[in-house]
This record gives sequence, structure tokens and C-alpha cells, in this order.
Amino acid sequence: MNEIDLERLLARRFSRRDALRAGGGLALGATLSACGLGGGSDNDKSETTRAIEPKIDGDLVYFNWAQYLNPKLFAGFEKKYGVQVRQSNFDSMPAMMAKLRSGNRYDLIFPSAEFAHKLILANQLLEIPHERLTAVDDVYPFFDDPWYDAGSAHTVPYSLYLTGLGYRSDHIDSMTGSWRDLTNPQAEGRSYILDDFQEGIGMANMVNGYDLNATDPEELETSKDYLIDLKPDLRGFTSDTITNMSNGNAWIQHLWNGDVINIRYRVDDPDSVKFQQNEEGVPVGSDVFAIPVNAEHPGTALLFIDYLLEHSAQNATWTGYPMPTFSSEKPYADLVRNEPELQISVDDLEGGQQFADLEGEDREAWDRVWTEVKAA
Amino acid sequence: MSERRFAGLTLLPGAAWLLLLFLVPLGITLAISFGETDELGNALYAWHPENYDRVFDPLFVPVLLRSVGYAAATVVLCVLIGYPIAYYIARFGGRYKYLLVALVVLPFLVNYLIRVYAWTAILSDGGILNGILADLSLTDSGGVRFLNTPWAVIGGLVYGYLAFMILPIYAALDRMDPTLIEAGKDLYGTRWQTFRYVTWPATFQGVLAGSVLVFLPTVGDFVSAQLLGGPDTYMVGNLIQQQFFEANNFPFGAALTTVMMAFLLIFMVFYLRSAGRAAQEARA
Repeated sequence: MNEIDLERLLARRFSRRDALRAGGGLALGATLSACGLGGGSDNDKSETTRAIEPKIDGDLVYFNWAQYLNPKLFAGFEKKYGVQVRQSNFDSMPAMMAKLRSGNRYDLIFPSAEFAHKLILANQLLEIPHERLTAVDDVYPFFDDPWYDAGSAHTVPYSLYLTGLGYRSDHIDSMTGSWRDLTNPQAEGRSYILDDFQEGIGMANMVNGYDLNATDPEELETSKDYLIDLKPDLRGFTSDTITNMSNGNAWIQHLWNGDVINIRYRVDDPDSVKFQQNEEGVPVGSDVFAIPVNAEHPGTALLFIDYLLEHSAQNATWTGYPMPTFSSEKPYADLVRNEPELQISVDDLEGGQQFADLEGEDREAWDRVWTEVKAA
Repeated sequence: MSERRFAGLTLLPGAAWLLLLFLVPLGITLAISFGETDELGNALYAWHPENYDRVFDPLFVPVLLRSVGYAAATVVLCVLIGYPIAYYIARFGGRYKYLLVALVVLPFLVNYLIRVYAWTAILSDGGILNGILADLSLTDSGGVRFLNTPWAVIGGLVYGYLAFMILPIYAALDRMDPTLIEAGKDLYGTRWQTFRYVTWPATFQGVLAGSVLVFLPTVGDFVSAQLLGGPDTYMVGNLIQQQFFEANNFPFGAALTTVMMAFLLIFMVFYLRSAGRAAQEARA
């Protein structure tokens, strides 16, 4: 590994540091929440209907996964509008929720569909005036009334993804198209799964032939045991898949399709990084743009959404994830033309298995399983 | 102003600090540990003493033992590495003494998390260390697996907390009268005997203080295991961190924290009693 790689790795961690550093702020976060200062779920619906205009009202406070937006577009936006984009990153949906809960104010966040659903129910997202977005006609009509947001009132779709296994074909030539390939002996113990309770348990549910979102106690117990039995064959849990595959740690990695493209930009032999969808099931989903109710600069956020939609082709080909716009369709299709396994369309979403917004005891049951898997 | 009044005033900043930044958060943690959460994961006050039942689930016993084991190993390694360093600085540092102490502290100018993350770049299979080993033809392709092992986690902890061991030992050695060592030699003690019967006992309180300073934060650390560990290096700190940031479960996280603090208090009491006894002996 050369020095530049190291620099890049460190830079990545700088951006992820917030999510982890939050550990030090536990007491403070707890204080705020306990005092009911964290926004709470008792927001009034009227707070979500504050009128917002697409005009600059300050620097953009941006909160997203790392490596999930073309950095050139930050620069372009900053130059065009003369503002700064102040970035911070999360490394899981629950970590994003924790930061929101402890009262942090962001102008733009990128939740997955099911977490957007949760935030909308709790009146945590501002309504977005779609008619004020110039590029809105470019968005697939499929998202006019998605399951997670009636009438698409609070969200604009950002990207589509699916989950499978990435692998290094220069080391491994015996993949079988199954999740069970995680134990492939050719990986010599270099297999990782995502450090993500939904993807982890969802994968186990699929391997056991259950519904992706199974919450039946017996089924969850079987899935938990499957994951615990899998642990000795794993080298770790990580969602930092881009670093992990590009620095040679992972030969088989549970990951999201777009990261494969991003990894290829970083390794000497891009063709050796392959992706497989698995026969037991393929989780599919979408992420969205959303503006929290306590955003200080929602106008800038709106302009940023518009800017991203206008440059969706440039963004999709960098992140590796298709954006739900007509204009990005062809450039993205060209990028993955001989690899149908990397592709996902709205038709796949329609018929595919998507993570549900688990609530109450169901969510508790999943959290409990994941804790026990990690601790066992 | 009377002497007593003045003494009271000097206590104010410390007392305010403790009250605001220690006792209040501690009280809130305790309150949350009996609470519940709403759909967004916000902690709400309630009365659920059963939150504590789960803390004593046998499932978590290995996690606790592992944390104590890693912390103990870290303490031992820190003594083995830190003592000679402190010894050299105190006895042979000469006019560079303070520069050397400053160098020990220097890494602390960089956030612990970033320093540990740097180790992932050094230790990864395609990383710097494996690159050097491969250049020297010491390894075959693929590299040595340093990362995601208990050794990497303990290494990260030692690296992260070594200065907490060096500084108190250095202070103890610096305070110690060097003529004691000469006296030991005059009495025909070998180097080893002099160290064993003169230097070590004279600086033992420094070692003990360093051990407590290293043990307490390492037993609750989550960064090293998170970044350098594998699936079998999960520590109590990771468990607690997961409850707050992943599992949406502030109450269980707070209950774990409370029990953990009670447990660590035992070590603290042991140390305070030992230090108190030593101070008494010194006066006698």
C-alpha cells in the first residue's frame, strides 16, 4: 500500500469519526434525551409543514454514509452557490437515528426507505415542495407515491441498492451463488458480513427459507443460531466494505452492489472484484433525501437536492448506485453493461424483498438477536 | 477572609465540575437504566427494574471475562514496556528528560480513534507491515493476518494507554533518591538484587497507580475491538456502545453501564486502600 492510500484511508476515518466519537458524548446525549430535549416523538404534525423555498439560507449541514456521493458535486455546488457543505457521516441507520435523537441539527439526511417511514410517522421530516424542484420531472413516477411516504410528501428518492456477496476472483473460483459461500474454504477465513442488524438477520432469515422480515420467535431463534454458528468462519463484522476489500482484508464480503464499483476504482486489478446475487434471496431497497424538521438551512438543502438530481448521471457512475432518474439511466447502464447481477431497477423493487419498518416488540426482538449474535 | 473560608472557595470549581459533569449525568444514567424507549429510541422515564435481569444473562459472562482479560494483559504489557522507558528517562534522560517526557505525551495530541484507525492501515493484509514483510520475502502472498485478532486488540489498547503507565512510574522513579541505588550496590547487591529489593519497592506505588489508570479505561474500551478486532473479540464497551447506537436500547445500555461502574469501583477501592496504607507506612 502506498502513502496515498494511507492518506485516503485516514481521510475516510476522519469522515466516519463522528459516528464513533459519539461514544464519548454518551452522557450528554443521554442527558438531552432524558430531559426530552432530543426532539422526541411528540412533534406536532404542523411542524413538518413549515414552508421552504429553494434559495440559499446558509451553509449545508450534510449527514450521509461515507463514499455515497460524488465529491466533485460538493465542489460544484459550493462553487455555484458560494456556500460550504459541512459534511459528517454515519455508518448505520441506527447510528444516524442516535445522532438525530441527541438533538444534532442537520439540513439534509439520507435515510433508507424504512427509516424514512419511521421518521415520517414521528413527524420528524419536513414536507418537500416537489413542484419547486426544477429537475423533479426527471424522477421515475414509480416514486410518486411510495409505500414509505404517502404522496412522496417528505422525501425525494436518492438511489436503489441490492445486497449480495462481493468476492475476489483472483483468489476464489468456486462461488456457488449462495449465501453459504461465506464459508468458502478458498477465502481462508477472509470473509466478512455487514455490521448491520437488518442485513445480518435478513440474510440469515433468507438462508433459512424465511421471509426477509421474519419476526416469528422460533424463526428468529433459528436465524440467530445460524449467525452464531457462522461466526467462527468469519473474520469480522464491518460496513466499511470499500476500505476492507480494497486493502486486501476481505476476499468475500457481504455488501451493497454499488460499493463494488467504488472498490474497483481503488484497486490495481479492478476486474478481480466480482459480485454475486444469492439464490436464497436478494434484499433490495432504496434510500431517500430528507430534511429534518429542525433543519436550519432547508432552502440550501432543497437547492442541493435539485443540484444532485440534475447531476444524477455523474453521481450514479461515481457511487455505483443507480439513481431513480431517466437522465442517469443510460450512463449507469453503460457502466454495468455486462454485469446483470449488479443491476437493479424499479421493477426489481416492486417484486423484491424490502426491509420493513419494524416497530415495537418486533424491532426489540431483532435488536436482541443482533446483540446476542455479537456477544456470543 | 478566614483560612477556612478560603479553603472552601478553592473547592468550588472542583465541586461544581463533579456535580455538573459527573453526578448529574450519573444520576440520569441511573434513571434511564430503569426506563423505556419510544419508537424513535428516545429514552423515557419509567420503572422497569427488570432491565437489570438481562445484564446478568450468562450470555454476557464471557464478554465480561474477555474484557477483564484483555485489560489485565494490557496492564502487564504496559508495565513490561513502560517501566524500562520510565527508568531510562528518569535515570539517564539527563538534560533531555523533559523532552523525552513530552515525546511520550505527544501522540495524545491526536485523537485516540484516529490513532487506532491508523493501525488498521498498518496491519491490514495489504497494509504497510505486510508490504515490508513481503518485500523482505518473509511471507507468501496474502500476508500475515494481524488484523481482526485478539492480539491486534490488545496491541491497540497497549498503544493507546501506555503513557498512563509511563508517567506515574516516571514520577515515582524521579522522586526516588538515587543514592538508594548506590547504597544497594555498596551492600554488594547485584544489579538485579538492587532493582528487586530497592528500586521496585520504592516505585511500586507508581506501578500500581499506572495499572489502575490503564486498567479502568481499557476494560471499558470499545474502539480497539471495533476497529482491530474480529467476531470473537467483543468487549463490554462494544456491548454498551451497541445498546446506545445500534440496538435502540438506552435503558439496557444504562443498566450495563451502572453494573460495570459498580464492578470497577471494587478495583478502585482496592487501589485506594493500598495507596492509603503505603502513605501511612511512608509517614511512619
